Amino acid sequence: MLKKTPRRKNGRTFAVSQDIIVMRSGLLLLFIASTSAFAALDFSHQVVPILRTHCAECHTGSKKKGGFSMNDRAAFIAGGENGAAVVAGDATKGLLLEAITTSDEDKQMPPKGKRLPAAEVAILKAWINEGASWDAGFTFKKASYEPPLKPRVVELPPVVEGRANPVDRIVDAHLLKNNLERPSTLTDEAFMRRLTLDLVGLLPEPVALAAFVADKAPDKRAKLIKATLGKDVAYADHWLTFWNDLLRNDYTGTGFITGGRKQITTWLYKSLVDNKPYNQMARELIAPTPESAGFSEGIKWRGTVSAGQTTEIQFAQSVSQTFLGINMKCASCHDSFIDRWKLDEAYGLAAVVAEKPLEVFRCDKPEGRTQKASWLFPELGQIDASKPVASRQQQLAALMTHPQNGRFTRTIVNRLWHRLMGRGIVHPVDTMQTEPWSADLLDFLAVDFAENGYDLKHTMELVCASQIYQSKVQVVSKDTDSPTFVFRGPRSKRLTAEQFVDAVWQITSAAPARVDAVVVRSKLDPKAPSDEKPAAQWIWSASAAEGKVPAAGETIALRRKFSVKGEIRRAGAVITCDNEYTLYVNGRQMSSGTNWESVGSASLETVLKSNGSNELLVVAKNAGNGPNAAGLFVDVRIVTTDGKEQQISSDAAWEWSPTLPPATGKYKTTPNNWKPATIVAALPVWSGKINAPAASMLAQLIAGDIPMARDSLMKSDFLTRTLGRPNRDQIVSMRPNDLGTLEAIDLANGPILAGILDAGAKKLASQTWASPEAFVEWLYRFAFSRSPTPEELAAAREALGATLSEEGVQDMLWAVCMQPEFQLVR
Amino acid sequence: MSTLDLHQPEYFARRDFMKKLAAATAAAWSAGEPRLMAAGAAAQPRATADSCILLWMAGGMAAPDTWDPKRYLPFKVGTPIKDILSTFPAIDTAVDNIKICQGLENIASVMDRATLIRSHYQADLGSILHSRHQYHWHTGYVPPQTVAAPHIGAWMSKVLGPRNPVMPAFINIGQRLEGVGENEEVKAFTTGGFFGNEHGPMNLPYPEEAAQAVRPPKGMEPGRFESRERLFRKLLDKNPNRELMSDYQQESMLRSMDNAYRLLSSKDRAAFDITLEPKDSYAKYNTSRFGQGCLLARRLVESGARFVEVTTEYVPFLNYDTHANGHTTMERMHTEIDVPVTQLILDLEKRGMLDRTLVVIASEFSRDMIMEGKPGSAANDQTTFKVETLQEMKHYGQHRHFTGGGSVVMFGGGMKKGFLYGSTADERPLIAVNNPVSICDLHATIMTSMGISPKTQFEVEQRPFYVTEDGKGVAVKELFS
Repeated sequence: MLKKTPRRKNGRTFAVSQDIIVMRSGLLLLFIASTSAFAALDFSHQVVPILRTHCAECHTGSKKKGGFSMNDRAAFIAGGENGAAVVAGDATKGLLLEAITTSDEDKQMPPKGKRLPAAEVAILKAWINEGASWDAGFTFKKASYEPPLKPRVVELPPVVEGRANPVDRIVDAHLLKNNLERPSTLTDEAFMRRLTLDLVGLLPEPVALAAFVADKAPDKRAKLIKATLGKDVAYADHWLTFWNDLLRNDYTGTGFITGGRKQITTWLYKSLVDNKPYNQMARELIAPTPESAGFSEGIKWRGTVSAGQTTEIQFAQSVSQTFLGINMKCASCHDSFIDRWKLDEAYGLAAVVAEKPLEVFRCDKPEGRTQKASWLFPELGQIDASKPVASRQQQLAALMTHPQNGRFTRTIVNRLWHRLMGRGIVHPVDTMQTEPWSADLLDFLAVDFAENGYDLKHTMELVCASQIYQSKVQVVSKDTDSPTFVFRGPRSKRLTAEQFVDAVWQITSAAPARVDAVVVRSKLDPKAPSDEKPAAQWIWSASAAEGKVPAAGETIALRRKFSVKGEIRRAGAVITCDNEYTLYVNGRQMSSGTNWESVGSASLETVLKSNGSNELLVVAKNAGNGPNAAGLFVDVRIVTTDGKEQQISSDAAWEWSPTLPPATGKYKTTPNNWKPATIVAALPVWSGKINAPAASMLAQLIAGDIPMARDSLMKSDFLTRTLGRPNRDQIVSMRPNDLGTLEAIDLANGPILAGILDAGAKKLASQTWASPEAFVEWLYRFAFSRSPTPEELAAAREALGATLSEEGVQDMLWAVCMQPEFQLVR
Repeated sequence: MSTLDLHQPEYFARRDFMKKLAAATAAAWSAGEPRLMAAGAAAQPRATADSCILLWMAGGMAAPDTWDPKRYLPFKVGTPIKDILSTFPAIDTAVDNIKICQGLENIASVMDRATLIRSHYQADLGSILHSRHQYHWHTGYVPPQTVAAPHIGAWMSKVLGPRNPVMPAFINIGQRLEGVGENEEVKAFTTGGFFGNEHGPMNLPYPEEAAQAVRPPKGMEPGRFESRERLFRKLLDKNPNRELMSDYQQESMLRSMDNAYRLLSSKDRAAFDITLEPKDSYAKYNTSRFGQGCLLARRLVESGARFVEVTTEYVPFLNYDTHANGHTTMERMHTEIDVPVTQLILDLEKRGMLDRTLVVIASEFSRDMIMEGKPGSAANDQTTFKVETLQEMKHYGQHRHFTGGGSVVMFGGGMKKGFLYGSTADERPLIAVNNPVSICDLHATIMTSMGISPKTQFEVEQRPFYVTEDGKGVAVKELFS
């Protein structure tokens, strides 16, 4: 081995230089191709069969005996451990001819079996002397799948038996072709349970379930799908889990401790409530505003990190994985061994966000060169690397969301299919470099998604309306699940940690009062008509006093202390600032904005103190190039349980200080230079753009009741971590499907679940039930969306006894929530 | 081939190993979970240990004040700090050529059962963050990582599984994960990583409350717990959806529920209850939560635990994280560990278990009175005071983080007895100068002892991920008896 190493090195060097020649010179490539076409010898018909017969077994594909592969011309010529196989144009040199002609048994090739006939040796000799030409692109390697880039319009198979949903047309044809039966249809109850859990992450309420079952309308399922997707807040609550995993956003986690990480929660939640088109979401994540920048900025740990984990490289990896299902992690360190991605492509993407020229490292060692910004599919256009970072990000955002980028749309529709159907069309969902089980289905959904305005809800509606979604799950025994997957129907899905906790909270009414995420759980329509008039005035520092104009860049703190009388039922704030603001309420950041024309909002129920003193603190900044008008506008309204309203608005009661708090919004030492705020005469353009939407949004913020807390909005705890909620240090696109023993222990005796069940049992046991059976009936209909069978009822009744006790109810709740029927969506 | 060729290669219960892996692989496929790679299953070394106890000296235990005594000067106002290397004098041990620091007299008496490595060193990660070095030490990989790196306990759980089917394979004692500083960073490596929660730790932050973790919920009498379980089974039995019973997911869910119930109702759960220990034995261990943790670890290993970590607990600026008052703190830490560690070794020995239990005492790095990081490091100084000579007692101690050389003590598990390996320089900088051992090679040694090749790899996201960084760890074969 040792003796051969230097020679192998020579071989390698040679191989590389050949590659470069072929790649750099299109002319040479052309020359080789034409030589083959016109030469006396026909490469593919005369040479290839000989090589295939005698050499291919050991030297093609993944086989590389003696370090020699002849997959392509460069490798062929380079030879193996013993040196070059051929020297193009000179058959007297190189090892190939010697090996196939020698009588030395130790050296001869092939090592066993028949020697090559003389005629074949002559052909190879002539071919080498002619320059060993090779058909362009020819490889002995089995063609690996390369997914198409551009969208493809699919010709749909004919409608069979009135099953007109395009998804069914494709799936029916697939089932027919594979001689598979269509799975049978779900009952109304089972359909509603699956749909509600899939789209809004909740169990259907027993009353709603009964109404749906009783409904005689033939299109009731279609209507239910629409209505469920129309629950904007519940939809956002549920899908926040999916997006937090995919964008690695969380409320605590590594990096926050040293300011090396930012949340995008408020932006993300609003995007979901508003059902922002997906291409717009992607653009705002790639070319972010401060509110969405946490994704592209990544996680920065204190200290130095390896070259493969700088925040720029994290950007390349995250953008590739999230939006394209491409694994750029290998290529961040070296050219990938598993797919086509190269080190330079990873660095090109990383360079988009690099403020300085980005030095390339291979396996953590500097290459002594830099890489300029570029992206993965130059067929769609390339990034102008000479532009500044912000412009490069915008260019990348435009290329990513380019109408001809079919990989962008295929990746997201595949993720949605996976969530709804239990298994991806491409699976695992982050291996979009591999072949789908139905290219037609994937391509159809992708094109349809783009044609319908990148509307996530549209694709969900389409899939949920299909007969295949509405059919029974495939029962998967251990053995049938292999890489040779054949789609037969939907698969059951385990409840996510969040779904599980939400469902238990629903049944027990034991959800906590406050949530951790800073989100507005209302869909606010700024254009909704309203009779409200804003009470807020525009305020600023002394620099806005009569006859003065605030300087560009002036940044001030403004505050208002006040006390709340009574128990808060609802509270909200609307805010804007010419030009930028960050709002802290009792030391917690609740809203920020950089565009005065867009009214910001915050829900304050859980952050304000009932019957106590509170503080609003705003850091406000004036922008522009020279002195210009500046003003802050805040309106807070609080509704207490006695029905009274309190209003706190920006006015002369506010104070300002030039001393700013740190980014946490909490002064280490409170400044003592507060002065009364100056009332600024509202510019007509301010009043015109802000007054009506602000008043309207404020009214909507405090209307109705607060929706139930949802676990997606809470910091993770022992229970949810045990149930599979990931530490969001990495992107997670698929959570484990199995329940492990440690999880089961936690479910059996963990204090968090026991506490919820205990609280729920107290409430439920104290309610009036017609009989213990009535309680069981209610519980089954809530938990399983069906009535208990007589046998189940009898078993439950036996355990509960004649009268409901707290203990009895608690144990019944546990026994029901532990059933696989409860823990699975099926 | 394994890097260590101690004996004729005997592949322990290889068939079972492969069978288990095959089952795990089939299950994992659908979820895109990691799969053992063909090459990874090959050539597992013969195990010299069945269980591993990691005694984690969290916060950076100073080698010159514990296992590697250097020039000692007592506290005296005006003494130049540069003259001081150790703040404890050396004492004799049961081994002629090994001396350790005063305060560890009990451990000194069992050093004839130990292998002492004095040349362990860590990577230079720039400005020092404890939790980052701890992540490196516990997973073998420096954070951040593109995939969630599993803790070494998770590797043992995944590859070897539990020794006793009802006993969780990976148990983590003494570290609180809520309410203490840097807890998010500590959580990041206290996980099963890409192996999933099934291979993650069972966390027992308070040893005296460990029994509750395997007891029916608070306030639930055993009779009620059993009838609750019966109700669960009965409802399951009466479930009308028979066609779904054979579903793999349902089966695996029920199997886990069953395992949990078995543990919670088995006699093995007594192992978690340290109050059942005889009084005099309990008293020996009862120096601190760490001491109690050592007792709990012994009981768990006796009942078939695979990997147990016991920590002195990492809390920023507490325990071994001495940014001031180092000597005084160290006196207390010596008292916390000296008797319990010794008792753990003697108890294991008395039960005939020491030979097959690998006990490792380690820390994320060492400490020094002057040098931060290691020579040439860009680490910035994090001390709270800067003095050249001793002024008051709080100046006396190892107040800087040192990654250039530290000590690891190993007992049992096939390691040599009364053996000294490697050394550090006699004068500052106290770097490992002889037979340096990296984290990667130390892990290779530990894994090899447990019968796991350092090259064992799983495919995750289509990439190989190795138990030692990039499969490069080489076991230190001189350490094996």
